[in-house]
Amino acid sequence: MAVKKDYKDQKLAEKLRDRKYYVPDSNPEFIKDVEKIGQTAAHMCYQCGTCTGSCPSAPRSSYRIRLFMRKAVLGLEEEALTDPDLWLCTTCYSCTDRCPRNLAPTDAIMAMRNLAFKRDIIPRNFLQTVQLIYKSGHGVPNNDANRAARKKLGLEEEPETTHKYPEYLPGIRRILDHYRLKENADRILAEGE
Amino acid sequence: MAEVKNKEARIGVFLCHCGTNIAGTIDIEAVKEYAKTIPNVVVADNYAYMCSTPGQNKIADAIKEQNLTGVVVAACTPRLHEPTFRNATKAGGLNPFRFEMANIRDQNSWVHMHQPEEATSKAKDAVRIAVAKASLLEDLVPKSVPVEKTAMVVGGGVGGMQAALDLANAGIKTYLVEKNPTIGGRMSQLDKTFPTLDCSQCILTPKMVDVYRNENIELLTYTEVEAVEGYIGNFDVTLRKKARGVITPAEAEARGIVGGGCTGCGDCATVCPVIKPNPFELGMAPRKAIYIYHPQVSPLIYTVDFDACVKCGLCVESCGEKKAVDLDMKDELMTVKVGTVVLALGYDIFPIEKKFEWGYKNYDNVITSLEFERLICASGPTGGHLVRPSDGATPKRVAFVLCAGSRDNTGVGKPYCSRFCCMYSLKHAHQIIEKIPGVVPYIFYMDIRSFGKMYEEFYYRIQDEGAKFIRGRVANILEDPKTKNLHVNAEDTLLGRPVDMEVDLVVLAAAIQPAAETEKTRRLFGVSCSQDGWLLEAHPKLNPCGTTTAGVYLAGVCQGPKDIPDTVAQAEGAASAASIPIHRGEVELEPYFAQCMEDKCAGCGMCVPQCPYSALALVEKDGRTVMQVTEAKCKGCGTCGGFCPGGAIWMQHFATPQIIAQIDAFLLGGEQ
Repeated sequence: MAVKKDYKDQKLAEKLRDRKYYVPDSNPEFIKDVEKIGQTAAHMCYQCGTCTGSCPSAPRSSYRIRLFMRKAVLGLEEEALTDPDLWLCTTCYSCTDRCPRNLAPTDAIMAMRNLAFKRDIIPRNFLQTVQLIYKSGHGVPNNDANRAARKKLGLEEEPETTHKYPEYLPGIRRILDHYRLKENADRILAEGE
Repeated sequence: MAEVKNKEARIGVFLCHCGTNIAGTIDIEAVKEYAKTIPNVVVADNYAYMCSTPGQNKIADAIKEQNLTGVVVAACTPRLHEPTFRNATKAGGLNPFRFEMANIRDQNSWVHMHQPEEATSKAKDAVRIAVAKASLLEDLVPKSVPVEKTAMVVGGGVGGMQAALDLANAGIKTYLVEKNPTIGGRMSQLDKTFPTLDCSQCILTPKMVDVYRNENIELLTYTEVEAVEGYIGNFDVTLRKKARGVITPAEAEARGIVGGGCTGCGDCATVCPVIKPNPFELGMAPRKAIYIYHPQVSPLIYTVDFDACVKCGLCVESCGEKKAVDLDMKDELMTVKVGTVVLALGYDIFPIEKKFEWGYKNYDNVITSLEFERLICASGPTGGHLVRPSDGATPKRVAFVLCAGSRDNTGVGKPYCSRFCCMYSLKHAHQIIEKIPGVVPYIFYMDIRSFGKMYEEFYYRIQDEGAKFIRGRVANILEDPKTKNLHVNAEDTLLGRPVDMEVDLVVLAAAIQPAAETEKTRRLFGVSCSQDGWLLEAHPKLNPCGTTTAGVYLAGVCQGPKDIPDTVAQAEGAASAASIPIHRGEVELEPYFAQCMEDKCAGCGMCVPQCPYSALALVEKDGRTVMQVTEAKCKGCGTCGGFCPGGAIWMQHFATPQIIAQIDAFLLGGEQ
C-alpha cells in the first residue's frame, strides 16, 4: 500500500504523494467487467499507440486512450474511472478502425463510462444532455440561429424529429424512465448543488 | 498375411507417469489394476519414464519372461516415442510392429488436468482399446526401396543455392530449378546486408558462379515444376522449361551451330523496340522485351518476354551468326528422377496498399523497403541515389514504418512477425546517414527485435549514428498535396503524446508472405502448410527441415520468415537431411501397405482409379484378373480398403478385424 507521510502542508503532501503502483491498487475483476460490457478483448492490447495516434481528441487534450487500455489491463479501476479524461472520447471509432489487434478501444471506453456511471461518476454536462433529451428528444435542441440558417437554406424551421412531432416524446421518455436515466441525472445534479 | 495368427494373445501393458505430466492427473495405480483385468493381459507395469533406459528394459524383460505376443505402452504420442518403444519391443525379441500405443498424455492428462477422475476413466478406455488391437497385431516387415542418387532443389535464391551446393559438394547430382531467368532470388535485390554491411551482391555472386560452374549441379532456370509422382527415393518430377526464346552455347552446339548461342553481349536488347518495366527493379527501371534482370545474372543468357515481344525480328538480325535468338521456341516438358527434394520457395512482399491508412500506391513518396533497397543500391535505377519519387529530390527527413502489415490481427495484414524488418530498417537508417549529409531517419517501432549475433550491437551503433527512435505504431499518413511531403501520425508512447511528423519520404517495412507459387508447388509435393501459408515442418523444434512427406525437405523463408544467416543454416540442414537417404542408398518404408486378398478379389478394378498414389493395377495371375499393389507407392491411406465392394483389400496394421476389435472394446468394454 502507498506509504503516507504526515506533511503539515497539504500542497506539499500532494506533491510528494507516493505514486508507486502497488498490488492492492489492482482489481483483477475490472478488466473482466470492461470486456463483458465492451465486448472486446481489451487484455490483448499491446500498447502500440495506434489508437492515440488516430484519436482526434488526443492532440487537443490530455485524453490518451492507450493509457485507459493499459489501466484496464492492469486493473487500475479507481484511477481509470475517476479520471475526467474518460469523458473526452468523441466515439469517432478511428482507433477501432485501425487497431492492429482488432480490438474496439472505443467500446472499452464506453464500458468504463458505464462502470463509472454506476458509481455516479459522470460530468455534469453529460447529465444535462440527458435532461435535454428528456425534455426535447435532442441532446442539442434546435435554436433560433439554427432555425434562421435552415430557413435561409429553404428548409422548414423544425427538422423531421421530435421537434416537429412532439407526440413521439412520451416514447423517448419511457425509454429513459425504464433505465432510470433521467431520475439518476436529476438526483446526481441535485446532490452536486 | 490375411489371417490372424495370434491364437493366444499375451499382452503386456506399461504405464508411463511422464513425471507428473500424466501421474499428476491420472491415477496410474488404478489404471494398472484395471489393466490386469482386461482379457489377454498377462502383465501390467508402470514406471516414472517409460522412455528411459530402465523403462525400456522393463518392456524387453517382460517380453522374454512372460512370452508376450504384444506390447501396449500408455504414454505420450506415437509421433514422439513410437520408434523408441518399437525398438524396445524388438530388443525383447518381438516383431516391432507388435507394439501399440495409448495416448494418455496429450489427449488425456493435459486436456483434462482438472478432472482427474474422468481422466483416469478415459485412460482405462484407451488402454483397453489398445489391448484389443495389440491382441490382433501381426509380424510386419518394412520394405526397403533403393534411392535414386540424385536430388532436386526447387528455388534458386540464397537458400536453394546453398542447399544445391552442399548436395553437389557431397557428390550428389542435383537439379536446381528456378522459375526466373536467373538465380539469386531476393538477396540479389538487396544492397547491403545487416549487421556486417557486406554488399549483398558481392557475397552472393561468388555463390552464383559456384552454382553455375559446379559439375554436379544441373541448373534449370526459367523452369517450373509441373507434376510430381513417386515417393522418397524415387520421385519422378516433370518440369516445364518455359520458352526462353534464346539458346545457350551448349544448346547451339547441339543444333549444329558452331560457335553460336547467347554470349550475353546485349546487342539484341539494344535494338529491341519494346520497353517494359523491369520486375527486378520493382518496375522502377525499364527493360526490353528481350532482357536480363541485371548485369550479374547467372546464367548470363537473355530471355524473350513473349507476352511483350512483337516478333519484329530485329534481335535475330543483330545476333547474326550466333543464331541465339529463336522466336519460335515453345515450352518443353522434361521428366527427371530424383531421390530427395529440397523446397526453397522464398517469399513475396505483402501488398501493403491493402493497409490504405499508410497510402502506399496513393502517395508518391511512400515506398516499400524493397524499393528502398533498389533505390539505395549503386546498380539500381538511380545509381544508388535515394530520391523522392515525386520530384527526384534528395530526402532530408525519412520515416521508417516498422511492423507495416506484420503483427496484425485485423485479417488484412499478417499476424506473425516478419522477423527481419527491424534489422534491415536499422541498416536503412545507417545507409542514408552514410550517404546523405544532414539526413535524419525516424524509426517508428513497437519493439526492436535485434535477436541475432551482433544484432543488438548494430542497434546500439545506429542509435549512436543519430537515428531517432519513436516508440509507436503509425496510425496514418497524410500527404501535403502541394509539397508531396508526408505527415506521419502516431503516438510517441514513451512520451504519451501524439506526433505529427512531416517527412520527405516514408519507407514501409512491409510484411512478407509466401511466394505466389508456393501453394501450387507444395500441393504437387504433398507438403502441408500452417494456417499462415508457410510450409509446415515435420516438427517445429526437433525436425525443422523435414516435412510430413518423406524425402521432401524445407529451406529458408518458405518455412517461415527468416534472415539470410538462418536461411543458409536451414539450407545446409535440409541438404544434409536430403543427402542421408541418398548416401544410405535405400530407405525403409513403413509396411502399412494395402494387400490384395486374391481369393476374394473379383478383379472388378474399381479400386484402381480410387488410389491417389497410382499404386494399384489389375494383373493376370493364374488365369484370373486380380488387383496388385505396388508396395513402394502405397502410403497406406486406406481409400481402396474402405472402397472395395468385396472386402478383398487388407490394410496392414490397420486391418478391419483390428479396427473392429478396437471399436468393440470401446463400445462393449468398460469396467466389468
